[in-house]
Amino acid sequence: MNRSIRRLYLSIVVGFGLLAGFLGWWQVVAAGELESRRGNPYVAEKERRIDRGAITSVDGKFLARSIPTTVGGQRVYRRVYPQGALAPHVVGYATPQLGSTGIEAAFNKYLAGSYGAEPLLRRLNLADKRGADVQLTLDTRVQRVAVDALAGRAGAVVALDPRSGGIIAMASAPTFNLNDVATDFAEVRTRPGAPLLSRPTQSRQPPGSTFKVVTATSALESGSYTATSRFVDTGRFVLNGQAITNFGGARFGAHTFETALTKSINTTFARIGQDLGPDRLGQTMTAFGFGEAPELRDLPSAMLVASGRFGADGKLLPNGEQGIDTPRVAIGQERLGATPLQMAMVASAIANGGELRRPFLVRQVRDRGGDVVREGRPETVRRVTTPDVASALSAMMRSVVREGTGTAAGLIGLDVAGKTGTAESGAAGRNQAWFIGFAPAANPVVAVAVLVEDTTGTGGGVAAPIAGTVMRAAVEVAR
Amino acid sequence: MISRRTREAGFLLAPAAIGILGAASVASAQAGGLDVGPLPAAGAIIGVFVVMHLALRLLAPHADPYLLPLVGVLVAIGLVELSRIDPELAHDQAIWITVGAAVFVAVLVLLRDHRILQHYSYLIGLTAVGLLVVTMVFGTRINGAKLWISIGNGQTIQLGEFAKVLIVIFLAGYLRDRREVLAIPTGRMLGIPMPPLRHLAPVLVFVGAALAAVVVLNDFGTALLFVGVFLAMLFLATGRVAYPAAGLVTFLVGSVLVYLAVPRIHDRVTGWLSPFDHPQDLGFQMVQSLYALGDGGIVGPGLGRGFLVTADGQTLIPELRTDFIFSAIASELGYVGAIGVLLVFVLVAYRGFVIAAQSNDGFSKLLAGGLTAVLAFQAFLIVAGIVRLVPLTGVTLPFMSYGGSSVVTNFGVIALLLVMSHRSRLPTRAAEA
Repeated sequence: MNRSIRRLYLSIVVGFGLLAGFLGWWQVVAAGELESRRGNPYVAEKERRIDRGAITSVDGKFLARSIPTTVGGQRVYRRVYPQGALAPHVVGYATPQLGSTGIEAAFNKYLAGSYGAEPLLRRLNLADKRGADVQLTLDTRVQRVAVDALAGRAGAVVALDPRSGGIIAMASAPTFNLNDVATDFAEVRTRPGAPLLSRPTQSRQPPGSTFKVVTATSALESGSYTATSRFVDTGRFVLNGQAITNFGGARFGAHTFETALTKSINTTFARIGQDLGPDRLGQTMTAFGFGEAPELRDLPSAMLVASGRFGADGKLLPNGEQGIDTPRVAIGQERLGATPLQMAMVASAIANGGELRRPFLVRQVRDRGGDVVREGRPETVRRVTTPDVASALSAMMRSVVREGTGTAAGLIGLDVAGKTGTAESGAAGRNQAWFIGFAPAANPVVAVAVLVEDTTGTGGGVAAPIAGTVMRAAVEVAR
Repeated sequence: MISRRTREAGFLLAPAAIGILGAASVASAQAGGLDVGPLPAAGAIIGVFVVMHLALRLLAPHADPYLLPLVGVLVAIGLVELSRIDPELAHDQAIWITVGAAVFVAVLVLLRDHRILQHYSYLIGLTAVGLLVVTMVFGTRINGAKLWISIGNGQTIQLGEFAKVLIVIFLAGYLRDRREVLAIPTGRMLGIPMPPLRHLAPVLVFVGAALAAVVVLNDFGTALLFVGVFLAMLFLATGRVAYPAAGLVTFLVGSVLVYLAVPRIHDRVTGWLSPFDHPQDLGFQMVQSLYALGDGGIVGPGLGRGFLVTADGQTLIPELRTDFIFSAIASELGYVGAIGVLLVFVLVAYRGFVIAAQSNDGFSKLLAGGLTAVLAFQAFLIVAGIVRLVPLTGVTLPFMSYGGSSVVTNFGVIALLLVMSHRSRLPTRAAEA
């Protein structure tokens, strides 16, 4: 019988070996997959126990931080947003139930301390989970000015340093408070004005006359035009039986190219557009970044939408498509859609002598030991145009603010360059009001784009003053 | 040479250390600093084991020295885990362990020679069926299964746990008498060699009755256990693989039929095969348990440091203290700790089978082998359910799950094994007289 006993014992050993194998599957092999499943309560619990890194502004203010508390004998952390309503779209939230957005999502790896060798050490319980701190290029002083200037009107402000691409302010209105997300998300998401929408990166509106900066770049690049090129306006430009007129039906007579931009003369830009043709204008658009989502790699790609021309089905069309109504494109119409971020990039490229810097939001990531684990450095996307063209255009844009449609953006003792835009919103008497510009014009430290959606005002009346206060704040901070 | 009992005393230091360190770990995790509060309780349980050790010294000095320390390890980890879930549970369980120890000592005192049991094997078998019938008639239904007899004061006992041991004793006695005839097939059924039906019939009737009772009681875990142990003992008695193989096939076919017939099983199987499709109802328990396993990872956060109980004292996994105590352990001690616990069960089985192999007579071999198989199968079944190898059953994890009947019964089983071990290792047969 002892032989049978041995065999029974061996079969039991084999059985327990099977158990060990299956258990290893769940505890080692599939553990990661289990963790990524929605509804896993351990993930939320684990995250509560992570000393998540802080998100700070360049001026040293906490935008997000974790506060330790003791609950049921366990040391857990509570995520608080001391400036909850200041830049909620940029900072973002991170909850197991709602997922995560903004920097909280894009830099979760660093904030949660899951970079480098840390995950392996922690899997073996050799290291505590402590996240790294993320410092943004955002300056709360400028951001505050931008939020206050928007005053709750649906719209957006993007301000960046054209020399580096670092984003100084990125405001979206109406705003919401990050501290309400965990408790009142259902209420926040149904509030009027879609506060969860990140308007600087996601609101695509016809850019109107601000697009004339793109057309002017293309014109100057072509070599056929200079700031002093002469035109005669009759108040109408007719193409295929369709008339393009000036804002308010104005007639300007004989004028220069600079005056055309200063006074935002549609007929002249339509004529230039027809002359340039779809290829050349399309090339310039591509150079500025139209046709693809901006390379703002510090935010989740889902938060970024492309600017450009859109078909009736809402699909993005190629920038240089043949057979399009180029005169209308040249004045910022004809199904053009642009985000405030894209238009800020246009202003930024001109301000930086024609070289477009890649926009970025994260200045540096520091671990708890103070070592920098990642740094945001100025990077060039491409040269959009020559320094000569940029400088000529800069002079023309100064004229816009000095004596043209953009005087409301003017600042005492400071040279400002800019361009207004007023696009029809679709509803009668309502506009999308735009302003793009930079300051100081001679040596720019800030480039802005301002959008006020669905307003009765114009770009010069509504958007330009906002841009003025934001640029002043940015210039003061830069000093 | 160091005596067996002195070796046992040495080995007992291991579970004592595990118990003390584990209790300190749990208490410290909850207090946020060093807490020596549970030390007296740990001391009391160590005292209970010392009493059992002393009883062995007096009554069965030649018994196996490893079994009691191995049980001690299981008890220590189980108690610590229970105290971590709810200190009340550990308190109750400690009382049951003390009762179990009393039964342990009683078996040593009363059963000087276990072979006397084979004279009463039919009576014992009838008692087993009687216990199941009593449960059937007077039982309280909990979670759809009728396994518990209320004994007042909110306490319940599971007579099925005791019946399990009685049936092993009966089978050992019966198969001992018939093993020669059973071993020689006299005919074939569907190509499978069959022993004479005349000899097999009483066994089949007995097991069938037990099975029927269990199906009525709606406890398929115990049914599986009975069938498994029956087949294992049939194999031990006859040495023929064909019998358990045929039995297993029959059982699998029967399982499919039961699956089609009983809705409760239907739900359990669905919860087994596709728990993630029903994470809120049928698969809830399984899904929560798998999350706990995954959370434990390779090494786990340590005793008392996992996430098993929410702030309001509810466990994330329903029935954590009984069916899922192994999930709790695997979640806090990780894969390494869980493998350790499985290894202890394998070692218990090893010592049990060594006792069976060293026994001098067929009855003892069958009894020791059967009792060991019950312990091993039971641990296998519940853990196999937890890791989704088989559908989840409601059997307890020996010495670890919360529950008095199980603990008391299993201490009795260990005492029986040690009595057999002692007798088989007596230096001279003269000592028997």
